[in-house]
Amino acid sequence: MKLKDTMRENISGYIFIAPQIILFLVFLVYPIFEGIRLSLFKINYQSETFIGLANYGKLFADPIFVKSIINTLIFVVFIVALTVLFAMFVASAIFDKNAKYVSIIRGAYYIPVMVSMVVMSMIWSFLLNPANGLIPFLARKMEMSVNFLGDTNWVLPVIIFVTFATNVGQAIILYIASMIGVPKELFEAAEVDGASRIKVIFKIILPMVKPTTIYIIIMNIIAVLKIFVVIQLLTGGGPNNASTTMMYYLYNNAFKYNQLGIASAVGVIMFIITLLLSVPQLRAMLKKD
Amino acid sequence: MLKRKHLALGMTAILSISALVGCSDSKDESNKGDTIELKVMLTPQWKGVIDAAEEGADYDSFFKYAAEQFEAEHKNVDISVEVVAGDQRDELLNVNLNGGTPPDVFFESVFAMGDYAHRGALVPLNDIIDDEAKADIEQGYWDSVTFGDDIYFYPFSHNPGTFTYNADMFKAAGLDQYIGEENEIKTWTMEEYEEILKTLKEKLPSTDYSNANAMGMYALNNQGDTWNLAYLRMFGNEFFDEEGNIILDDASGVKAAEWMNNVYQSGYTNPGAESVSSNDVNALFQNQQLAISFTNPILFNNAKADMEAGKMAKFDMRLANIPSESGDPLTFTYVTGAAVFDTKDEERIEMSKEFVKFVSTDEELIKASKNGIPVRTSVSELYKSENPLFAAYAQNSQYIFNFTGNVPGYSQLRQVLYPELQAMFTEQLTPEEAVKNYQEKGNQVINDAKEDSVIFNK
Repeated sequence: MKLKDTMRENISGYIFIAPQIILFLVFLVYPIFEGIRLSLFKINYQSETFIGLANYGKLFADPIFVKSIINTLIFVVFIVALTVLFAMFVASAIFDKNAKYVSIIRGAYYIPVMVSMVVMSMIWSFLLNPANGLIPFLARKMEMSVNFLGDTNWVLPVIIFVTFATNVGQAIILYIASMIGVPKELFEAAEVDGASRIKVIFKIILPMVKPTTIYIIIMNIIAVLKIFVVIQLLTGGGPNNASTTMMYYLYNNAFKYNQLGIASAVGVIMFIITLLLSVPQLRAMLKKD
Repeated sequence: MLKRKHLALGMTAILSISALVGCSDSKDESNKGDTIELKVMLTPQWKGVIDAAEEGADYDSFFKYAAEQFEAEHKNVDISVEVVAGDQRDELLNVNLNGGTPPDVFFESVFAMGDYAHRGALVPLNDIIDDEAKADIEQGYWDSVTFGDDIYFYPFSHNPGTFTYNADMFKAAGLDQYIGEENEIKTWTMEEYEEILKTLKEKLPSTDYSNANAMGMYALNNQGDTWNLAYLRMFGNEFFDEEGNIILDDASGVKAAEWMNNVYQSGYTNPGAESVSSNDVNALFQNQQLAISFTNPILFNNAKADMEAGKMAKFDMRLANIPSESGDPLTFTYVTGAAVFDTKDEERIEMSKEFVKFVSTDEELIKASKNGIPVRTSVSELYKSENPLFAAYAQNSQYIFNFTGNVPGYSQLRQVLYPELQAMFTEQLTPEEAVKNYQEKGNQVINDAKEDSVIFNK
């Protein structure tokens, strides 16, 4: 009876959240379960055959998939680290300067974020194309011979740089906003105590913007785990799969090879990795707050 | 207060329902009322309806014109035409097939679409092909569009693959004796070809042709891979055995891979072949930064039309065969034609077949096959005086090899070759290792595809 009353009391609340819940269930939860189901099947145009965990077995026996995991992890570590460190450096250097100056710097770094990744990748592709790109042309003029996109030693650093350069503006904006929000009294107290700029940054600013740091790290990890456009347009996963990532591997299997079961298995593995990486950080953030 | 609460609840309920309605099945929308909506897709073929020189000529001109004509005869039909990039074809089709919304008609080279017949996604066209068509189109073309017992594509034209070369660059390098006639497909021996490459590298004046190389080489993706497959046959390798397995891993196959690697490492080709696409190579040739490149009649005619229209610099562009050790030219052809997808809607399938028949048999429309090489003898006869190259292509036809081997899984097989070539060009693998890897992975793809093929398992 009491439960019924509580239900009646809360019914309007449930109805108000119903649209969001329905959309969440239909467009997020259902695809996850459907992806898990598909990963257990061999699928062709005419039929679906249950094969248990065979798709997963096939995946881990494929050296290209293993390479794609390693490459993805390399991208995550380097792009996230570079983004956080560089954004922290730029933001802490300028956040308390003249407002106009801050706006110019903020705008300059944010412009690439507003440009589509497709456009950025194409521009870099034009610049780096070994046959007619500007950079290899200049390198040849200086009697250097290097193909940044075709050299296994260079291709990962190039992708890391292009992705980092395109995305770092977002992190800078967030850091500047967060640093501006740090109470002025703390800086005044530090000034009275004669603290150096370095001390102010490490003892006041960075601890105060920790929630922002955690947010930037989580968001960037999730984004970089799904890195695809730059690979597709710049290297096509090459040379010899040296720059293949999990998302690109998934894409190839789903849309080029029509191996939906394998592609779904990759999706499930990516989901688990993302979950494992995100949960401890989310927990740390929630505990502090 | 209560009224307002009820109103809010009502609005929320409507929003929830409309969210669900938005997700409802709209599969039959295209056939609402009496109109039958057909979607025709094609990859870039020739520009214009009949000729690339027409004003406003584009890749969809022919099918848009054909659709207008067809719609005039069939008032209840509405046809939309979409041109899709060749390297996006499989992605697009797989998404559409898995989503249950395949196009009705697809016009493309048969080699790139054969897998869809194996997967059961196409419907046979036997019932729209009459004796007149069978008599007008040679049996060889019917064979290439027949999978198992059924015909899945209506052959329209074919595009033999050859080299194209810049005769002006040859002259500048002092290679006049190797230049063929204007309407000849020149055949060089391997020794002559190697001499040409060497001379171009050493003697092409950089003042006139800065940053230029002798030959185009690419391995970024699967586009234009048939030329790479042809190079792998240069020393006599048969490529497939009778069971449809790859047999590249012998002395002749390895020698061919070594040849490819040697010309690349010797600087006879454009740099960075591992990250250069066939489109890049074509652009380099058109920009006179390559003396020898790949081509087919459509590409060749489009380039000539662009020269005439002032869209690219004019130069003396001619044709040559891919050489081989035996001295016989290596030549292959892409038969192009329209296929009908199994949309599970009988009415649409029947009308699609009607449209394919119309496009492939209408006296006016079939003349457009002259942009490639017509498969119909009647059209060849009509245009042979206008296009003297038709005779040269006919002369070549005795050397044509079947580059797909009609094996299932060919689309996926194409994804296996270029990573191995990239590994070879970047010296991660020796030519021998690259060939061995390709054979192993390729045969795995073929065997897996045989298991799933509706044609093999009939």
